[in-house]
Amino acid sequence: MTVLANGRERAGEDAAAQRDALSVERLSLAVGHGDAAVPLLADVTVRVGRGETVGLVGESGSGKSLTARSALGLLPRGARATGRVEVAGVDVLAADRRTLRELRRTRASMVFQDPRAALNPVRRIGDYLTEGLRARGTPARDAAARALDLLDRVGIRDPAGALRRYPHEFSGGMLQRVVIAGALSTEPDLLLADEPTTALDVTTQAEVIGLLRRMQRAHGTGMLFVTHDLDLAAAICDRVYVMYAGRVMEESAGASLFTAPAHPYTRGLLEAGPSVRGEKAAIRPIRGRPRALAEAPGGCSFRDRCPLAGDDCAEAVPAYRTHGASVVACLRPERVAP
Amino acid sequence: MTGNTPADTGGSAVADGAARPVLRVTSLVKRFGDVTAVDGVSFDLMPGASLGIVGESGSGKTTTARVLAGLERPTSGTVELDGRVVAGPEAGRPAARGGTRGRVPGGGARRDRLWRASRLQMIFQDPYGSLDPRQTVARSVAEPMRLHAPGPAAGRRARVRELLDQVGLSERAGGSLPRDLSGGQRQRAAIARALAVRPRVLLLDEAVAALDVSIQAQILTLLDGLRRDTGISYVFVSHDLAVVRHVTETAIVMRHGRVVERGGTERILREPRHPYTRLLLDSIPSPDWDLDRVARDRRALDRL
Repeated sequence: MTVLANGRERAGEDAAAQRDALSVERLSLAVGHGDAAVPLLADVTVRVGRGETVGLVGESGSGKSLTARSALGLLPRGARATGRVEVAGVDVLAADRRTLRELRRTRASMVFQDPRAALNPVRRIGDYLTEGLRARGTPARDAAARALDLLDRVGIRDPAGALRRYPHEFSGGMLQRVVIAGALSTEPDLLLADEPTTALDVTTQAEVIGLLRRMQRAHGTGMLFVTHDLDLAAAICDRVYVMYAGRVMEESAGASLFTAPAHPYTRGLLEAGPSVRGEKAAIRPIRGRPRALAEAPGGCSFRDRCPLAGDDCAEAVPAYRTHGASVVACLRPERVAP
Repeated sequence: MTGNTPADTGGSAVADGAARPVLRVTSLVKRFGDVTAVDGVSFDLMPGASLGIVGESGSGKTTTARVLAGLERPTSGTVELDGRVVAGPEAGRPAARGGTRGRVPGGGARRDRLWRASRLQMIFQDPYGSLDPRQTVARSVAEPMRLHAPGPAAGRRARVRELLDQVGLSERAGGSLPRDLSGGQRQRAAIARALAVRPRVLLLDEAVAALDVSIQAQILTLLDGLRRDTGISYVFVSHDLAVVRHVTETAIVMRHGRVVERGGTERILREPRHPYTRLLLDSIPSPDWDLDRVARDRRALDRL
């Protein structure tokens, strides 16, 4: 695990050999100017290694989707960004439109919550799956063969027939498989999955996750998995970042997030969610409601909802420190996980 | 279903002398054209009890809820509410077993609707749907009282304050329009409005599904407290087994319109008997999540 606090210096020569799929360093985002400026993200550092699965977890307004989208250069209208975003060696914030288009076409793909929003309803599935390949110069016949193979591998029955069908002829789960097939058709370095299974039934979710994992492993694709579901993140991710009010609160190895949360917010989330396994335990709500960065208090953003907060939490944004298997922005992690 | 025995098949006679169910659903069927959305659903809900209806999309759980709320007419079967048949061939008459309790108010669909609404209220996933966007929350909460119990405005105002307090909304929130409140506050407002007529049954359809985890916990805690304090009964419709475990004592699991498993919620989660229930449980992510087992469950179900 990287230490979040120190921006990593990288030697240029061997960067290509060991470069990350995604590196977001101290990214801050704001819209508007002067007194009317609204901050959205502050000092967000997120890294996804090659072939790694990394979770980005948080509630509404945490900035998890904004962070993921920034990797494709998809910033809110009029947003000003500072920091650095690099995907497969491309400096995204400095890139021109053509470079970004090329990046989205070949190096980085995205899967959204609603597959119907990602597909043009009046175009056939076959067109959707071959357009990325055709744009890279693959001959039509080869592209069609590749699309057929992809549909077969994501478990669509009668793939040849499916190529000729329209999105409305598929269920949500089947359509999300098609979108995943399309997203991985170019064998990208990075897959951004923004709540890809939230709209699906729980049994379908398990199948789609299994598919994502298999495809990702086969291609060595790094995946940034954005979700509000802590259980899901801990189940499939190598590492997890927990975001709150536009900042990263904790970075942890996937499984140890459950056994040893180091931030009061992470622990609060775990205690607030009812569980289906083990002894039936009382749930403990976190007081107040989730905040966006613009409405969060100074110092630690979580301090107005935190049971451990003291006066010192208001003085400055807590620096990241290592505690157990976590890197955490809290002054008293030892009181969260002794 | 009384929930006294885990294997209770529902629809059995109420124990002698014991409290009678506040809600009894018998062999409920709802067809839309050729599609049978609900296929022979039966259960009993006792006063102060909480029953979960679990299922995925297409299971018929929401259609069942809509029939209970009177938003859809059943194709066959009956719904008895508070001792009176409110849906089915003999709707409007006292239930056969209801004895003298259910008096037939003379005619009128509107009166029937009012009668039902005074005993059963529904909470939806999106509270926007149950609140008038142009009215303050306090006025929305007062509205059902004006309909059901016309009386002096001062009395209503006091009751509105009491209700807002009960669901944890400030007076300032009461004076706000729905759009100025957060999702959690809006769901609180919808609950206050539903409680205004002192119903015996609250029907919650994915009522906490759209809320953030920390807010969901606040609403679940509120629901716990309300049931403890008022003795109201819940029918809790949800796809989320963890939430159902927290809110209910008994549950039915639905698939393709049918009840495939019923019993105590804890028993269902610990020793699921139907392969579909097992699939649902194994599909829930956990640190030792076994996706191969999910695939095996699915195949076992297909063989059925």
